[in-house]
Amino acid sequence: MEQLIKDLKLQIKEALNLEELSLEDFDADAPLFGDEGIGLDSIDVLEIIVLLEKEYGIRLANPKEGKAIFKSVRTIAEYVQANRKK
Amino acid sequence: MINVLSTNITSPLGFSTEENYQAVRTGASALRCYGPKAGESQGLWGLPEPFAASLFSEEQKSRLAIDGYTFFEALAIRSVREALSHISLDVASPRVVLILSTTKGNIGQAVRYYPSEAAAMIAKAIGVTTTPIVVCNACVSGLSAMLLANHLLSASLYDYAIVVGAEVQSRFIVSGFQSLKAVSAEPCRPFDMERNGLNPGEAAATIVFAAKSPSDRDMTGAVGWQLVDGAVCNDAYHIVSPSPQGDGLTNAIEAVMKGRDKQQLASVCVHGTATLYNDQMESKAIQRTNLSDVPLSALKGYYGHTMGAAGVLETILSMRATDDGIVLPSKGFTELGVSGKVSISSEPKKTDKHAFLKLMSGFGGCNVAAMFEKTTDNRPRTTDKAKLVKAHTVKLSSEDGMSLTDIYKQQIGDYPKFYKMDILARLAFVATEKTLSNSPLKEEDKKPAIILFNHSSSVVADRQFFDTIRDAENYFPSPSVFVYTLPNITAGEVAIRHHLCGETSFYILPERDEALMQQILEATLAQTNATSAISGWVDAESETCYECELSMYNTTS
Repeated sequence: MEQLIKDLKLQIKEALNLEELSLEDFDADAPLFGDEGIGLDSIDVLEIIVLLEKEYGIRLANPKEGKAIFKSVRTIAEYVQANRKK
Repeated sequence: MINVLSTNITSPLGFSTEENYQAVRTGASALRCYGPKAGESQGLWGLPEPFAASLFSEEQKSRLAIDGYTFFEALAIRSVREALSHISLDVASPRVVLILSTTKGNIGQAVRYYPSEAAAMIAKAIGVTTTPIVVCNACVSGLSAMLLANHLLSASLYDYAIVVGAEVQSRFIVSGFQSLKAVSAEPCRPFDMERNGLNPGEAAATIVFAAKSPSDRDMTGAVGWQLVDGAVCNDAYHIVSPSPQGDGLTNAIEAVMKGRDKQQLASVCVHGTATLYNDQMESKAIQRTNLSDVPLSALKGYYGHTMGAAGVLETILSMRATDDGIVLPSKGFTELGVSGKVSISSEPKKTDKHAFLKLMSGFGGCNVAAMFEKTTDNRPRTTDKAKLVKAHTVKLSSEDGMSLTDIYKQQIGDYPKFYKMDILARLAFVATEKTLSNSPLKEEDKKPAIILFNHSSSVVADRQFFDTIRDAENYFPSPSVFVYTLPNITAGEVAIRHHLCGETSFYILPERDEALMQQILEATLAQTNATSAISGWVDAESETCYECELSMYNTTS
């Protein structure tokens, strides 16, 4: 799980061009959206959906399902672990 | 104010305005579902996900094709020629300009990749000798193009403008909108509870405008109509999501309705893409501007979203229907699914009024409202050119040897979104930051017009997006790359950064032409209430080959 979280942090940072976000400061439990956390937006969610399909073979057709999944890197990791196809 | 001389719609529903209008009156639609057949993993254009679209049939395509031209070019040429066939116009005159509205031009074709090259082919085929101007403002392009015609004719730079909007669909556009989860697999349902996205559509539509009112000799069915006023306002909110309260659209409608009585409106022809966010936002803006009781007409249930053609096509249909005493029903609508109060119906309504408001909103945060009216007041209204003073100019070139990232790090450095932008947006962003740090906006002036020009459109982002949809094994269309394949996003980024809620426009020219750029800028400022502008050339052919010269302008009285 910890390795998966580490991988996801790197993949998200690269896919979303979060150039100034250091991986050390990237808290696995920090909220990804809103002003309090990482501050991602609607296009970022869609880009993470592409990432999950590309890297883990997970197809998430309806972005609305994503609300609970995309709370934090940890919730994404839990979802990936349960649903990954590769 | 400019006068409509002639019109044409060339779509899967017919090749003339009249054929299209009669088809729409019978409730026809060319929307069909395209998707993988049972047991197959790919459908049309190798796309794995189903979509509904309004596309030309192979038989129609062969009828429209012209040897030596791409289908996109042939479509535009056919539309312009049919519109011109109703009038006698010396198209070769230096007083005639061609304005092409498109979002992606020849993107699916192997030749003439740059929209200005396609425009040059179209101009040559119809015989226009002046430099064609391409308007590339995402979904609002068609209305933007007509407003540009209004600016240029009102400034007496030309006497006639041929505005043609055209779009041909392809793997590129459809996969991009699918990556944004904006496409419906079923025929779209504007403003409806069950709406779940737009349908891509193909069409070309032409309006020929004249500065002066037409003589009897020129009379066609559309004569008597005028584009009386229009406004472009940016949300300065997000490059894709519209402002939830419809701020930019509200501002645009207010600017156009100022001093006018809503009782004169037969209808409001909305954008109505049938995406969740667009229609909701539009309903808010309509309620905020007290237009809740004016009948709406949402026409994408007939044609889908014809993108570069949409503004022109929907305006022509609204003129024709209003002439007929009818507000066209909104096909696909059954039960209201927006929270703003609006009057929308799937049944036609009678009207005895002679004006309508056309609305469009699009990526890059731009919103346009324009007023069309049938009046007997035919006095030409020309405006003086605005006198402009350059306050500061910034030049950036790849030949200087310093990367944009280095400039950002050393001289700006407080806007991490910079790293998300494509090269074109980065270039405009860095140049604007440097311009505004030397020549800050006055407190009272938060509405400078942002008017950008280039030759290469969004070619770098286009290449990057192609890479994400190359083949079936490597098919991961990237939403964040796709949005930058609309070059006007560049102006939107600048607007967001500085909360600038004025006009944002992106024009593509065959080559850098300072005189023409200056004319367009002066004519625009003379027609709008902007007292300043950020404008210039922003072009990037690759990550390491770019050129930008951007200036801050102020008007003097």
